[in-house]
Amino acid sequence: MGVTVVQNFPITENRTGPSTIELLTKRISALGAIQQGHFLVDCETYTSVPQLGNPRTVHILHNSEQPATVFSILETENKTIPLATDGLFDLLMIKMANFYTSKKQTKAESKGPRYEIGDFLVKLGTVTVSQNFKGVLVEVEYRPCVVPAMCWELMREFLQGFLGSTAQSAPPLYLQNRMQDIYSPIDTIHQYLEQFTIYRKAPGLRT
Amino acid sequence: MSYNSNSVNISVEAPIENQIQEITYDGTEIYQPPLTLSESLAKFAQKIDFSKSNELDIKKDTDEAFEDNKSDSDSKDAFQSSLWPWDSVRSKLRSALQEVCVLADVLAIAKEKRYLVLDPVQQEAVETKPMVQIYARKKALAGAANVLLTGAERLKTSQNEILRNRQTPDFHIELLRLRQNWRLKKVSNSIIGDLSYRTAGSKFFQSGMFEVTKAEEEEKTSSPPSSPAPGIAQVSKSNSSLRVTVPSELQGVAYIEVLCQKDQEDLCSVNLNLLGSGPPTANPEVHWQQKLEAAQNVLFCKELFNQLAKEAVQLQAPIPHMVVGNQIMATVLPGIQLVIGLCHSATADKKNQQTAPAPSKSDHDHVLEHSLHQLLREVHHKNTHHPFPHPSSAPLGPSKKRYLAGPMAADRHELLEMTHTETLLEQIIKQAQHFFMRMRTEYVLDTIAKEVKDPLISSHWNTLNSPTQSCVKINISTHGYDAVCRTPLVIHVGEKSLKCICRDGKVMHMSYEPQELRDLIFCHINQHQILAVQALAKTMGWQFLGNSNHLGLGSVEPLGNASSCLLGSPNGDRVIAVRCEPQSGVQVSVAHSPRTDFFPSRLVTERKWEHLGGQFRDVRLEKMEGRNFLHKMELLMASLTSNS
Amino acid sequence: MTSPGSAVDSLSAAIKCNIIPNQEYLLQGSVLDQYVEVLLHRLRGLCDNVDSGPESFNDHELCFTLRGNTPNSSMVLPLRVRRALDVPDAPWQLRYVGQHELGDKNRPTAVRSSIDMACSSTIVEFLTELGCRVDFEYIARGYMFRKGRMKITVSKIFKMGSMASKPNESVEPISQSYLVELSVLAPSGQDAIAEDMRIFAEQLKPLVQLEKIDYKRLAHIQ
Repeated sequence: MGVTVVQNFPITENRTGPSTIELLTKRISALGAIQQGHFLVDCETYTSVPQLGNPRTVHILHNSEQPATVFSILETENKTIPLATDGLFDLLMIKMANFYTSKKQTKAESKGPRYEIGDFLVKLGTVTVSQNFKGVLVEVEYRPCVVPAMCWELMREFLQGFLGSTAQSAPPLYLQNRMQDIYSPIDTIHQYLEQFTIYRKAPGLRT
Repeated sequence: MSYNSNSVNISVEAPIENQIQEITYDGTEIYQPPLTLSESLAKFAQKIDFSKSNELDIKKDTDEAFEDNKSDSDSKDAFQSSLWPWDSVRSKLRSALQEVCVLADVLAIAKEKRYLVLDPVQQEAVETKPMVQIYARKKALAGAANVLLTGAERLKTSQNEILRNRQTPDFHIELLRLRQNWRLKKVSNSIIGDLSYRTAGSKFFQSGMFEVTKAEEEEKTSSPPSSPAPGIAQVSKSNSSLRVTVPSELQGVAYIEVLCQKDQEDLCSVNLNLLGSGPPTANPEVHWQQKLEAAQNVLFCKELFNQLAKEAVQLQAPIPHMVVGNQIMATVLPGIQLVIGLCHSATADKKNQQTAPAPSKSDHDHVLEHSLHQLLREVHHKNTHHPFPHPSSAPLGPSKKRYLAGPMAADRHELLEMTHTETLLEQIIKQAQHFFMRMRTEYVLDTIAKEVKDPLISSHWNTLNSPTQSCVKINISTHGYDAVCRTPLVIHVGEKSLKCICRDGKVMHMSYEPQELRDLIFCHINQHQILAVQALAKTMGWQFLGNSNHLGLGSVEPLGNASSCLLGSPNGDRVIAVRCEPQSGVQVSVAHSPRTDFFPSRLVTERKWEHLGGQFRDVRLEKMEGRNFLHKMELLMASLTSNS
Repeated sequence: MTSPGSAVDSLSAAIKCNIIPNQEYLLQGSVLDQYVEVLLHRLRGLCDNVDSGPESFNDHELCFTLRGNTPNSSMVLPLRVRRALDVPDAPWQLRYVGQHELGDKNRPTAVRSSIDMACSSTIVEFLTELGCRVDFEYIARGYMFRKGRMKITVSKIFKMGSMASKPNESVEPISQSYLVELSVLAPSGQDAIAEDMRIFAEQLKPLVQLEKIDYKRLAHIQ
């Protein structure tokens, strides 16, 4: 378990999703990365029924990197509460169908190949929102370190190494307030949720 | 009948219940109806025996009385009938009345004291002699005591007789003892026991059922003098009244043989035998406890071997494990095989043949024997000892780690690790590998210590180690100069590799080849010599001019590099050069500058040029005095210092 | 390596294969304080692992319900949260327990559906913000045993004191008896286990009467 940064890779006008992934694959392979399987992060969003009073939203996320865990993030007007549980939480959400309903068209997921290169883990994700292609997310994990502030510079350099100028110069918004904290898997989930929310709002492809 | 003080009143009462008239076939009792009052009166009246009073001759008044009574009670014809029930009663009552009347008259007359006087009659005193009574009682008591004593004696002798006749304890007591140690249950008419390890966590398919029966009386078969072997019969008679029947596949003695072979040649052999492989008795009728223990051992060995064989087939090893018949062969290290065999002998004769060669080999190491035993026990223990969940409402089954995996977001790697368990075979192979690594390391260290006298190499093995890891600390020092310089090394002996932590903190990983360790030690000996010379020079007041651990000059060394150092005398006129090579040893050269004598030549015209340094001349160390290299160097430095 | 399917897909596959233990077979009873020692003794004799002694526990349970604001709403979702006070690193447990199904007389045990999962300690805040309300809470202390797949708990129920934040202090027992529960969590349809439970309950008979409790009847008594 290390520090993870999730970042959007903009798709230029003349490229499609698969060709963008192909481009990134070529670049990362040139650096010596070896593919180690695939990954999948998905997110389903449930909203409370009016009878429950104040509107609330529950995001249920799964990450294939932590296959035994269901992550839930509850958003109320002024609070965000994360929860990590066993896989059976999905069953409980079915029981809650009377109180929390999901909007099918918001189901978002990012999936694609997973690469290992030294201490780094790179995942190139194709993002779809309710089956519609939305963009490309790049996840990079630096495994030996758990404090973001101590490895951000290194990670940024690595990101620039294969993303070029599109690499962000600042850490993701979610991480900015937590640079000195010990990183945990739920932080990755927060970053994905942050990204998925942007994708859902974007009308077409995110550039 | 004389009533004396010994007499006791005994009252006999009829039970207050109705008499049984009839018992029907189904067992119900039909009672007689109780008598009515009049019936019972008549019954009791009939029982009165007036015969004694009839003896008195009072016939004279009977007729009158008869008539009086008759007139107011019954008719004449009834009186004449002898069957009339009240007849005797009436007559007797009448005669009694007569007597009472006469007595009353007599008393009345006597009371007047005119015609009759009552004189007291001297009663004859009863002869009561106390001594006689005591004697009589004494005699009676003695008689009673005698009866009791003879009875007790007879009981005792009969008891002894039984004990003498049957040396075997009682069947039920034996059964109780058996029950205290073994699982038994009664199935219809037979007693079935279970000697398997199932209750202890074993999941082996073979059952360990045995049957307990009562032993037949052996005396009948063995007591006839025609019996061919009375000696054996005697032995079996002393056993027990229980007979334990064990299924044939669990009979005999089994053990697991662990052999380490090096290129088909036995290196060591270990016999696994729970009972400590004592010579088995030829007597088939051993005590049930031993018999059951032996059968249990057979079952345990079978389970162990079965498990190992299953694993050997399933495991994907670079050199596949072989299972042939009762043998499993696994490659531990190149050229070394671990052979695990199941030896099961059903009869005593075969057993003797097989165990005979074993003791000659088994004096090596009993660690593997113990380990295999322990490993299966551990599996058994794990099968029964599951962790309890916390909080208590959580499900039984998943380990605590697995239960935490969800909320703690364990990643794929951690989850995979949780499911992975090491098989018995893998573990025993690792232990065997470690055993060899340790043996090789020991051998290398000992041979080097033997070969190299200067410096001294001492190794200390940690007494605490695990079956797959141990540690040895090596000290390289020179005799007499321990305080000057000492090179410590620590070697961790693993399963297939060695890890050496050097003096400077460097960590070296080595393979299972002993040559690598040997080379490393030689390099360190070499290094030690150079460092020791430098340390010695400091104490001697010599100057340390320079050194190189990896000298690029000179002939190429087969292993490592030569190292060297230069030392200057306190006033700087002499220089000693030391060169150490792992292979060829130490070379020492000395240079003087300036030389003590100067002869101007055409090239060197002035004496001052001599300060530039002179030619080095080799010192023939082997000709020098001194116990060891450092001692020689000390003498050399001392002599060069004093010369100036 | 094939790409991983979504977690929901694999879960629904697991439900189809019926490998998720979501049925709880349950028998309940109680024993007076003065006889609990005898019962524990009996259980030690009957259950597995007699050598290690009974395992004690000290749990705190919060019972939540999720219901709509409208008063006539029949939608009620009961949820329980439990944590071990004596094992601080153990996860919290979230549990949905369905209605008791008593079945007919021939059925030896009560059956209720149960979904339980380990969760992180944020669960109380999560449920509160989700709209759940705490109905009641209590502390259960006692011993647990196992016999094969069966779990037997003998627990004393304590009322929470005024200091809800310090559950270890100021607790008072709600009765002078111990609650005895015999339960098995199994995938649905494994009714054979109920018979085993009945037989086991028989063996405890004079000490404690384990039976299927009809909660509806209890509600009428109140």
